[in-house]
Order: sequence, then structure tokens, then C-alpha cells
Amino acid sequence: MYHLELDKVVERINFLKAQRVLVQLPDGLKTKAEEIVDYLEQKTNAKVFIWFSSCFGACDLPFGLEVMGIDLMVHFGHNKYWKAEKW
Amino acid sequence: MVRIEYINAKWAGEIKLGKEVLEYFKKQKITSVALFASSQFTELDSVKSQLKNLGISVNITKAKRTDGGVQILGCDCYADSFERPIIQKSEVILYVGDGLFHPKALLLSQINFKEIKPVLIWDCVAEKMSILTEKEIKIQINKMKRNLRIYINSFKIGILVTTKPGQQYINLALRLKEVLKKQGKKAFIFTDNTFDLKQLENYPFIECWVNTACPRIGTDDITTTEKALINIRDAFAPATALEMISK
Repeated sequence: MYHLELDKVVERINFLKAQRVLVQLPDGLKTKAEEIVDYLEQKTNAKVFIWFSSCFGACDLPFGLEVMGIDLMVHFGHNKYWKAEKW
Repeated sequence: MVRIEYINAKWAGEIKLGKEVLEYFKKQKITSVALFASSQFTELDSVKSQLKNLGISVNITKAKRTDGGVQILGCDCYADSFERPIIQKSEVILYVGDGLFHPKALLLSQINFKEIKPVLIWDCVAEKMSILTEKEIKIQINKMKRNLRIYINSFKIGILVTTKPGQQYINLALRLKEVLKKQGKKAFIFTDNTFDLKQLENYPFIECWVNTACPRIGTDDITTTEKALINIRDAFAPATALEMISK
């Protein structure tokens, strides 16, 4: 079982008054998508969306979400990382 | 601007090595271990105590792109991904976590070494031990060598640049294009979000591709396409890269 820290996410959504939230999950946590969306939509007024495809790491973030009015993205399963200047 | 919140999703239970791992270490008379884990499984105090009780010294290094500790990322697939060379100094590499993506990076990080040490995986979710050996990456190594040879002899090169901010290296791509131009070669820069390697077929005039995004494209995904593709890291000095892998 993993600590999904959904109460922390709820707090963050409410603090930011986020209206549209995108949840991004690595493959191992994709089965939790239903549980996460149900919880966040019950506890907040935000509409919650699920990123459909890859999530290989904290480097693998979707781009252009503004088009859909997404104002918060919650990325599960990875932590912030430091991008190398060069390989 | 979209704000980003990271949730680590740490494993909730206490992480301890199973009996079979401890038995293996005893039987093999292991005295030193290089310890790694993915971000969910980095709370390893109990594991460290278990190893200490067996008289095994635990070597830990910071992977340069992480915040520290034992954490490894999937892109830590080069020897210099780490601050200290603990793999060479240890008898065994121990990886705690599930899946093969991260432990495979630990094998790939050794391809320039004379010996590729196996990775002992303790999957604390399935409570199962397995050992990943050089065999697992043999096809990849051969493909990497073949692709480097093709790249050295290519005239028209396609450079792939992702729009994903965490993997985007447009300036490096532009620099390579200039370098190749000076060598009398012609480079084209292609961009997309996630690269579907089937799309490479649509550009038959490209003789070899250079990936600037996730390095695992140039080490793992290459086995899914006949098209030659190398990583940007090897593109500036391909002959040296080939020589190093061939060691």
C-alpha cells in the first residue's frame, strides 16, 4: 500500500482555489486513478482529469495544459529532480 | 501557469529484506553492498540494520539529479550519474523496489566497465528476490554498438527534441547541428512530446537519429525499431563512445 497523501492534495487544491486539476500517475499507480479522482472531487470543488499516457519520471511532465484550463497538476510517484545541464 | 505538486507515494509498510536475500548474502559471503531504491522505497533503516548485523558494509551515493540518499532515477544509467563510484567498490548491487526499469539502469551504468556486476532485486511489494544479470542488456548493448557505427558513417542525421520541459535540450540539439555541419553532414531537428519510434519510418532520408530526450530511448527503446538511433551524450564523440562500450 502506498501513501497517496490525498488530504495534502485536497489542502493544496483548496489553498490554490484550483478549478481544474490534472492527476498524473506512473504505470504502477494508474489503477488508483478512480480512487484518487473520486476522493478529490468529493472533497473539493475542482474538476479532476487523468493524464492518459506516459509518466516515466518527474522529467516526464505534460506540456500545454493551459489550453484545457488546467491550473494544478498533481504528479504521483516521483519527487522533484534536478535537471542536468547536459548529458 | 500550471502549478505542480509532487506526491512521492511512499510505501506504507516497513521495508525489510526477506530471508532468501539474507541467506544469499551469507552463502556468498558478501561483505559490501551498493544500496539503491526508487523513491517509494527509500526508508531503509531496517534494511541497513539487517545488513550491518550480517557484517556487510553498506555503500550509498547520491544520484546527481536526486535530492540524495539511496534514490535512483530511471535516467541514472551512466557511471557518472552518481557522485561516488560505489558500484565498483561493492561486491553486490542491491536494489529495493518493484519493476525492472530502475535496476536495469544500474546494469546500463556499468557498460563501460570490464565487468558488469549483477543487480540483486528485493521486491518488497511482492516479497520476492531476483537477480538481474548482464544477459538482460546484451541485446541492448549490441544494438547500441551497431547504431554508433551507423551514426559515424551517416550523412543525414535527424535530431529529436521533446517539448517536455524536464527532458528538453534544444540548445544541445542546435549545438550538435552546428558541429555536424562543420563535419560536412546535414542535420534536421524534429520535435514532439512523446516520441513514437514508428514515426521514424516516415523520414527515410534520415540515416541515423539522435535522441536528446530521456536517455532510456537510446538504450532500451532502440530494440523496438530497425532505425538507428543514439543518445545525444554519444553524438559529439561517437568513436570514443563505441570504444568505451566495446571494452
